[in-house]
Amino acid sequence: MNAPGRGQFTTTVAANIPLCREHYRLVLSLPRFAPTRPGQFVQIECHAEIPDPGDGEPWQRDTWPRARGAELREPIAMLRRPFSLAGRRDLPGGVELDIIHREVGLGSRWLAALKPGDPVGILGPLGNAFALPAPTHTAVLVGGGVGIPPMIYLASQLAHRPAVALAGALCRDLLSLTITSEPPRGSCAPARIAEEFSAFGIPAILATDDGSCGFGGYVTAALEAYLDNHAPANVTIYTCGPEAMMKRVAEIAVARGVDCQVAVERAMACGLGTCQSCCIRVKKSDPAQPPLIGQDWCYRLACTDGPIFPAKQLLW
Amino acid sequence: MSDLSINLLGLKLVNPILTCSGTCGYGKEYADFLDFSRLGAFVTKSITREERPGNEPARIVETRAGMLNAIGLANVGLDRFLAEKIPMIRQMPCPVIVNVAGHSTEDYVETCAAMDGIDCIAAVELNVSCPNVSDGLTFGTHPGRLAELTKQVKNVLPHKPLIVKLSPNVDDITLTARATIDGGADAISMINTFTAMSIDIYKKRPRLANATGGLSGPAIKPIALHLISRVYRAVAAAAGVPIIGMGGVQTWQDAVEFFLAGSSAVAVGTALFVDPATPNKIADGLAQYLTQMKIEKIADLIGALEMPKDPVSTAPYP
Repeated sequence: MNAPGRGQFTTTVAANIPLCREHYRLVLSLPRFAPTRPGQFVQIECHAEIPDPGDGEPWQRDTWPRARGAELREPIAMLRRPFSLAGRRDLPGGVELDIIHREVGLGSRWLAALKPGDPVGILGPLGNAFALPAPTHTAVLVGGGVGIPPMIYLASQLAHRPAVALAGALCRDLLSLTITSEPPRGSCAPARIAEEFSAFGIPAILATDDGSCGFGGYVTAALEAYLDNHAPANVTIYTCGPEAMMKRVAEIAVARGVDCQVAVERAMACGLGTCQSCCIRVKKSDPAQPPLIGQDWCYRLACTDGPIFPAKQLLW
Repeated sequence: MSDLSINLLGLKLVNPILTCSGTCGYGKEYADFLDFSRLGAFVTKSITREERPGNEPARIVETRAGMLNAIGLANVGLDRFLAEKIPMIRQMPCPVIVNVAGHSTEDYVETCAAMDGIDCIAAVELNVSCPNVSDGLTFGTHPGRLAELTKQVKNVLPHKPLIVKLSPNVDDITLTARATIDGGADAISMINTFTAMSIDIYKKRPRLANATGGLSGPAIKPIALHLISRVYRAVAAAAGVPIIGMGGVQTWQDAVEFFLAGSSAVAVGTALFVDPATPNKIADGLAQYLTQMKIEKIADLIGALEMPKDPVSTAPYP
């Protein structure tokens, strides 16, 4: 059987497990799914399938037609929401996709309420993927908040290769990881303390802004401390998280001449390159090539040109 | 099975469902999700003479039952369109209508003239009503200028039908509708988005970098229906100019409403972002509706709306 191409699919919720405050791991199962790689994403329809309002009874001339409901729908998250994959398992009975989501608005509130067996519409897989590091390089995975999920998927592809994960959050109860042993306060030495990474033999450094777990301060500060004190000679940095955090990671990487791949996030409607809304400014590799407007920079789309961009290209 | 095929502007379409400009790129993007052979016609993103990078992000924001966009006509420009997109359009299994935008009459005339000789282009749609570029609305809101522009463009398009897309951001849309017909438009498409705003109350700033954007989606459907009905009854029906109706269409029931209001064809825009297969699903639903209602062809639905003061139809209810 050939692998299916990308498309729209109705998946079934296999599990929707609370991980920590406001965070859940949603496991979606479907019979088949196109091959995927870490960094790629899916567009999730964050509402129940809109019921066909139906044609009801024919309009009798002497009565008002009943309100059919099409105009009276509850507020729903109309547009799909992009989510990067946090993992994928190909099982004998089908494919399971992991999505880690945080309840922040209308769409994610709907996701949070999902129960096993519920149908969820997805569209994908979409976007480009992280390029795996050269064999001699140590992969440094830097995830912040809801930017941690793609790092978990990436970690699954780096089993038994030199790698270290840095994960940051505001405070301990917003850190969506299974912490198996409490890291020493202030520590920025990698240790096998986060199950999602240690499952693949990857040690982690945890950072919280308020110091309630591991390194006290931004994960970017932890990254600098790690690079100063522990890092081997050749590293490739992978990052995803809040934009301010990724900008700082990109700065650190560029300043040290280290390769860095950034998974950007942008408000998005279609995810397919048609609406042109998820644009991000990048340096052009060749100013002589079109588009000629802007000369040394141009817009690229997070959905189809990205979401992964080399840090040195991004002008944000 | 009911026959959904229609003849629009001399073009034979398999069904009366089109896509809206700007919501479906240049064609290739939806190839995995939408069966183009079951699409009435495909309408491209706006092409301008010069390449445009578009507006600063944030370019979209979702609102209740809709969204605002301020993309700023980001497009590859005429030269690259001809070189890169035309070969793609040639492969499309349905008629392709090219949407053209511009800053000046010369812009429009030059871009449209380039389209006239290209055999794979079925028709040209003029975007005179983009609310998201500094001077985009000036043609679309001024009947005199709109009539003159339509005339000039029609002169350089002797071989292609010309569709003019109306802005709803006017006092009286029948005036601009009449102006396009006076200028020689073969069809009217309506409506473009409504100029609108969304505000971040913590930053006390508009959510869009452009401050305002165009409102689309189900939120605008009732207004679109009203405006189409008005233009159909006041101008288009008498002039024999078909209306391509659009504005918040998501379901086949929505599409039926648009036909009843006076549309000869219906276009799907924002709904494509939610479900790119929407036009196919609408066509399926429409076919069932026609069968169930014992309506032979789409043409029998167009403008069949009975208004309170109309003489009561004697046709038996199916």
